Amino acid sequence: MRQFFPVEDLARDERFVQTNMAERMKDGRTAIDVEKQSSAKSRGATKRLTPERHDASDAARGLMHGIMVGEIQALEGAGRTAHDFAAGDGTGDTVPFELKLDMARQAWDEARHVEISAKLSDWMGTELGEFAENTVLFEAACSNDPILRLAGVNRALEGLAIDVFTQMKEFGDVAGDPFLEFCEDWMLADEVTHVKMGSDWLRKVTANDPDRRTKALEFQQVVDKLFSFGGARGESADSSFSLAKRFRELAGFTDDEVETISQMDAEALEERKEAVRKYRERVGADA
Amino acid sequence: MTDTATPSTARAPFAPWDRRDIPGSFSVDDTARRVGNYKWTEMKLFEALGGWVATVPELDVKMRLGTHCYHHAWHADLWNKRLPELREMKPERLTVPANAAMERFIDAMTEPEAPELTIEKLVGVYRVLIPRFIAAYTYHRNNTSEITDAPTIRSINFILQDEFDDWRDGEMLLQSLITTPDQVQRAADHQARLESIMVEAGGITGLDSIGTAQTTSTEGGA
Repeated sequence: MRQFFPVEDLARDERFVQTNMAERMKDGRTAIDVEKQSSAKSRGATKRLTPERHDASDAARGLMHGIMVGEIQALEGAGRTAHDFAAGDGTGDTVPFELKLDMARQAWDEARHVEISAKLSDWMGTELGEFAENTVLFEAACSNDPILRLAGVNRALEGLAIDVFTQMKEFGDVAGDPFLEFCEDWMLADEVTHVKMGSDWLRKVTANDPDRRTKALEFQQVVDKLFSFGGARGESADSSFSLAKRFRELAGFTDDEVETISQMDAEALEERKEAVRKYRERVGADA
Repeated sequence: MTDTATPSTARAPFAPWDRRDIPGSFSVDDTARRVGNYKWTEMKLFEALGGWVATVPELDVKMRLGTHCYHHAWHADLWNKRLPELREMKPERLTVPANAAMERFIDAMTEPEAPELTIEKLVGVYRVLIPRFIAAYTYHRNNTSEITDAPTIRSINFILQDEFDDWRDGEMLLQSLITTPDQVQRAADHQARLESIMVEAGGITGLDSIGTAQTTSTEGGA
């Protein structure tokens, strides 16, 4: 078995259809309505997942499917990090033995999350493979530096999972679906643990290597921005879900770090709106 | 008929039903060496299971491998914590394979990577390695001192529960995947190849993994 495993070789059965972030952002159905002229019940009125939205059912099912394939990749990523690096003092190609144990524990947690997500998807009437799988999460788990993996996966992506699960838990509550709320609550507890693992190990392993820490935090910001899905996360009504600040604090994020992510989300939203405006101008000019 | 006992009535240190005894087959050093072999092999196993998750297309197998990955990591952690209690203050010094053949066995077991080789991956773990773990742990538990080495016995008992459960999971996955004569042959060929290396290694802790059956006595040899 190879030491590092490329994203394009991820093994899937025939039901899965894979895509990447570039393809996803090109999909017109995900575009932001910069004009905001829709009725109160339309998707354009708010991107928040609420039961009032006319497409709430499909949106929730799509999000749940996204969570499920994300959990599969998180399972694969944690497994690879447990495998790819030898136990050592944390320098070079090695990671502390206890970090490997944490990754194995995370693999088990993610396996349970796949099980939970599969049950929830079934509960919500979704079939596996009904939506495309975006493989960007596993891409963040492909770095040759284990600390970059922790920054990109455990802090950025698992941090995003905290935000998404908080949103889904609230949706379950408001929509009167205690099964959904129950499951999201449990998964949320695990995600806080995973983010804290990332925060703790990042600080511990780079305690005497400030350059490596800086690189890891920069990588985290890149992934954070990539995963803000052009402003899908933020305080604006144009964003699908908000930053779960309280849970992020529990997971080891400082106030400054939470504020930085919040600002980055707002910038990403504006950048995306601008891109949509330009695209529409160009299409209008071509027509 | 006995007199009514009071708090100051003398009692034997061992209750009548407690038949534990001092004698055991392993010294502290012997035990540390075995525990180091256990840790090394459990580590190799959890690393392999974690690495394979991304390589198997079957969703149910993927999830089982992720779950079992943690079980074996936990076993490795138990042994890592036991080593300093056995006077080995640098646990990595004894975290080694029993012999070169054991190292070759792990290399051969972890060789399959392609997505169509799930049967080979599972055969190596669940039909060769885990049965050897069950054997070595059972031999150790049944031959060590029940009093002086109780901490090792306690860990082995927890670990054996996992090993039996995981073996059953893996065997049932294999039975569900092996459905044609060709697949039967593939599984058997791979098992035979790995088993040959394992026989050369002698088991998880080498040639003394399960003692020896050659004795003139009616009692089990050790």
